[in-house]
Amino acid sequence: MTIFVNILAIFRKELQSYFLSPLAYVVAGVFWLLSGIVFVYLLLSDQGIIQEVALSEQSGIPMPPVDVPYLFLLRYLGIIGSLTSFIVPLLSMGLYAEERKAHTLELLATSPVYNWVVALGKLAGVVVFYITLLMPMLVLEFVAFAAADRPVPPAVPLLAHLALILLATALLSLGMFLSTLTSSTIIAAILTFTLVIALAMVDLVAEQLGQPFETAIAHLSLIKHYDTMVQGVFDSSSLFVFASYIILGIFLTAQSIELLRFQRS
Amino acid sequence: MIEVEHLSKRYGPHPAIDDVCFTVEPGEILGFLGPNGAGKTTTMRILSGYLPATAGTARVAGYDVHSQSMAVRQRIGYLPETPPLYEDMTVRGYLFFVARLKGVSAGDRAAQVDLAMAQCNLETEQDTLICRLSKGFRQRVGLAQAIVHNPPVIILDEPTVGLDPRQIIEVRHLIKGLAGNHTIILSTHILPEVSMTCDRVAIINHGKIVATDTPDTLMEALVGSLGYAVEVSGATQLLTQKLNAIAGVRDVQLSPLPDSARMLLHINCHGHSEPGAAIASTIIKSGGQLHAMQRTRPTLEDVFLELTTEEEPIPPVEDPEPIPDEEPIPPTEPTPEAANPEPK
Repeated sequence: MTIFVNILAIFRKELQSYFLSPLAYVVAGVFWLLSGIVFVYLLLSDQGIIQEVALSEQSGIPMPPVDVPYLFLLRYLGIIGSLTSFIVPLLSMGLYAEERKAHTLELLATSPVYNWVVALGKLAGVVVFYITLLMPMLVLEFVAFAAADRPVPPAVPLLAHLALILLATALLSLGMFLSTLTSSTIIAAILTFTLVIALAMVDLVAEQLGQPFETAIAHLSLIKHYDTMVQGVFDSSSLFVFASYIILGIFLTAQSIELLRFQRS
Repeated sequence: MIEVEHLSKRYGPHPAIDDVCFTVEPGEILGFLGPNGAGKTTTMRILSGYLPATAGTARVAGYDVHSQSMAVRQRIGYLPETPPLYEDMTVRGYLFFVARLKGVSAGDRAAQVDLAMAQCNLETEQDTLICRLSKGFRQRVGLAQAIVHNPPVIILDEPTVGLDPRQIIEVRHLIKGLAGNHTIILSTHILPEVSMTCDRVAIINHGKIVATDTPDTLMEALVGSLGYAVEVSGATQLLTQKLNAIAGVRDVQLSPLPDSARMLLHINCHGHSEPGAAIASTIIKSGGQLHAMQRTRPTLEDVFLELTTEEEPIPPVEDPEPIPDEEPIPPTEPTPEAANPEPK
């Protein structure tokens, strides 16, 4: 009960600080602008999906029927996933670095609250802020899907967006750990950005290595699991991998904060 | 309430505190006095559970600060050296946040926050963002944060830093008002603060406790002597010898007052003797004129310097000169009972 109250207290404080932070608004603005541009481009431009399907129908070559909403969702969330990787470092960089800079870690560390409780509250706060960022995007998607010939079954977009949120949560959790390592938000952001790039590169490197590394790494790759889930394939191993990364991030954060006490001079 | 036994903390090879022992009784205010870098902050951080000690034990309300950290954290309020404030919160919002963290039940929260704000005179600023507050107000928010959950033990690391004189007096009153129901440890390097607020003083230097006692006892036992500063004119020949003959007088120094025909006498007395009346009558009988007479007491500053200055190997009680004799004007130590001039 107390733990729940504590998590809620940290969560509320964290969420509130995002809504009061100019940086968060800049990040949100850029994210909305880019996701909007991508949306319009993918759907309506000369190279967009609608045009593509129209051209292939006009050409008269018999083709398997195309599920336009599904194809769109696949491509759109692929790009939004990459975009998310870029904004995660900006959202997670201050989680602990700011506390270290403002000496407020001393308050948290001398309050009757466990380190993992603080970490969980903070992560929940930043994830809810991220979900808020997705809201305008959902409105756009809702409008587009409502115009589809055949109704889109809700399960597929729901699963895809769940995958997006899980991907963001896993990256934010690791980013939170990296922000405990320094009192400079810039360094925290650079570290997290490097990690995100490294996680993306791992897949490419694995492909070069060939079997059995490729399969082994693919099982642990956040991006592979994300792609699978966005395609509408529900696999409990994906959930397991995402949960593992999230818990790893929280665990490392708690340990790192504990270690800070011993290092302080 | 607080028991510290053989506590040591090392940062690498450098000892920050070394074999520190003291106890604080329930309801007492202990002042932690020492120069910067003496180990005050380290000791307080260990007591608050923030830092682990290298050796020794510390118990707060019967709980070990390391192995029973959560139980200790529930029972302490801690104001660190730098107040831990979130710039983007309002004073009220911040105190509510701290109250939630410290486990104040939902029903009591509003009352506790209001009480803490009232005690720290923060009501006028309760809806101000913390980033807009002056240093004095920030310090008071830090103090409110330490008492918002009404903890039995309060640890204050330099609570009056950055406050103006009026605020300092208010904070001292607040701290004194909290004593009794709360056990308080406060650190400072401002000496009058300790003599005014604390029941007992622990003087720490180079990581070691060099003395623990009440401020008065420390001053008496370690410097040991009262004295008088006397302004005289007229027949001052042989006066020194006559005064030296009075029982209780240890030594007499005579110095001319600049821009005046008067002379200034510094008379140091043995401990617990009060030869003031005899001194005055001797001066008058020998034909001198007595213009002013003031009792001089060693201040905590003298004690502190005695204990923390290494260049003086002479034991403090033997030291005959607690008052510097070059001083051209009568010492004006702010001890209230010292001001009893006896003009002729």
